[in-house]
Amino acid sequence: MVGHLDADCFYVSAERVRHPDLLGKPVGVLGNQGACVIAKSYEMKAAGVKTGTPVWDAVKLCPDGVYLKRDFRWYEVLSRAMLDAVGQHAESVEYYSIDEFFYRAAPLTRRTGYQHAAAAVRDRIRERTGLPVTVAIARTRTLAKLFSDTAKPNGCVAVTDIDHERALLARLPLTEISGIGRRRGDRLAPYGINTCLDLADADGGLVRRLLTATGHDVWLELNGRPANPINPARIPHKMLGRGGSLGGAVRCPHLLFGWLVRNLERLIEELQFHRVRAGKLSVEVVYKDAPGGYADAPLESATDRFDLLLDAARPALRQAYRPHAAATHLHLLATSLRRGQGEQLNLFRPPCPKLEALAEVKRAINEQVGRFAVRSGATLYLPREIYADPAHSFDVCDIRGKVCF
Amino acid sequence: MCAAVALARSELPLALLDAPALDGRVHERGGEPEVRFYWRAAPALLPVWLDGRIQLARWGNRDRRGRLPPTGWTWRETVEAGRWAELRAEPVVVPATYCLVGGVWFRVREGVQGLAVRGRDGASVYLIVERASRYFRVMTRTDWTPALVNETI
Repeated sequence: MVGHLDADCFYVSAERVRHPDLLGKPVGVLGNQGACVIAKSYEMKAAGVKTGTPVWDAVKLCPDGVYLKRDFRWYEVLSRAMLDAVGQHAESVEYYSIDEFFYRAAPLTRRTGYQHAAAAVRDRIRERTGLPVTVAIARTRTLAKLFSDTAKPNGCVAVTDIDHERALLARLPLTEISGIGRRRGDRLAPYGINTCLDLADADGGLVRRLLTATGHDVWLELNGRPANPINPARIPHKMLGRGGSLGGAVRCPHLLFGWLVRNLERLIEELQFHRVRAGKLSVEVVYKDAPGGYADAPLESATDRFDLLLDAARPALRQAYRPHAAATHLHLLATSLRRGQGEQLNLFRPPCPKLEALAEVKRAINEQVGRFAVRSGATLYLPREIYADPAHSFDVCDIRGKVCF
Repeated sequence: MCAAVALARSELPLALLDAPALDGRVHERGGEPEVRFYWRAAPALLPVWLDGRIQLARWGNRDRRGRLPPTGWTWRETVEAGRWAELRAEPVVVPATYCLVGGVWFRVREGVQGLAVRGRDGASVYLIVERASRYFRVMTRTDWTPALVNETI
């Protein structure tokens, strides 16, 4: 049996742990730029505020709402405390995302059942961290994830008999399944497949034809046949990326270059942490008022060195740049990752011990003194607070070991 | 401007909770009630740490009485330039749980930095404001922020 634990409105609950005065109030946590609600309490949700609602719209819907700046360092502390607590109840735990775990569930004793085991995990988390969570236990991870949504908030449910399982599946629309959105739902609707139970009862061959092998795995899991194992350790990355919102419309090419360099330095940190080198690099820029720009940055050989990656990224940014257009997001993606110590030397670019040493000194200082203590001068184009405010130097993607992203 | 500060009711000393000045200032938005101090309230008051305890003081000089500046706020630059020295203003902390700026209530950890000027009929308190961070500007659509104690938003 598989357990699924999902923290209830996690960022808000985490803030309530350290600020108990927020309990019972409509609370919204704002994202990296301070513009959008990334998490809301049930009280704020009742007022019509959704995840992604801009704060200026949220204030109209919920004038009495209290808003907070996100603090991913604190959320990580609580996330790992939850992970630790679940680990005391289960041999095998998957750190799926900051607020969701899968684990191999077992009854606590021979006399107690799975319902008792689910409640024990939920109560243990509350006791250890103060966080409300919902726990579901079912035959597969897809079923457990679906059923935990039915027990929110602060609930626990163990679905061990088929009739109970089918009754719940019949109530759930297809789009509740992670990975099945409206478009896939529209593809299934002509076949009379509208609920999760319809999908479970459909012909497997038809599902494979309509939804590919991934959809077929979902179909297997809905029928209680595990297709996706629990991963206690993260599967090695096939790609690594860094980037995101630019905090508004960016038209100045120098500022855009500053963001490129910032994201490149963040990407290099990640490459070095995972002990991989980028075989390919690509740059993507999203514009508000122009088509997106995308360019590959050819690399002569796999590397994690700043100067070589920047030499490649600079012309790629030039290609992706649209003069006078308003850029809103920039992403850097490293693919064809090479592992191991050995490196294919390049005849045309001999090793450069000085630059290698410089990169090592930069890494060592930042590790000891703090992230971005030494950084490229190009980042001076960015607003001062990007580096002055520690909250900006730690994002949800910097929380390592998660399977989801 | 910072249109209001609010303090969780439990943060106020018992002696103040029954004060007539707090009539009509207790609000509920779920959970623990809070006492709100609006600039537009009559009279405009602020809680302030003064002489080792939380007291209620006038918020600035909205009524334009006497020689005090007719406002409720002052720029940090003005303070640092010594323009308040002749009024013998002293730095104080205005305890706050929430602040209201640009129509957005946001949580505050400790409070807001302020200046108190003592007079014969009690103290007047001004909130210190400073240029807002980009994050705060986006959040509240205002260019300045109250100077928070040990905190930047």
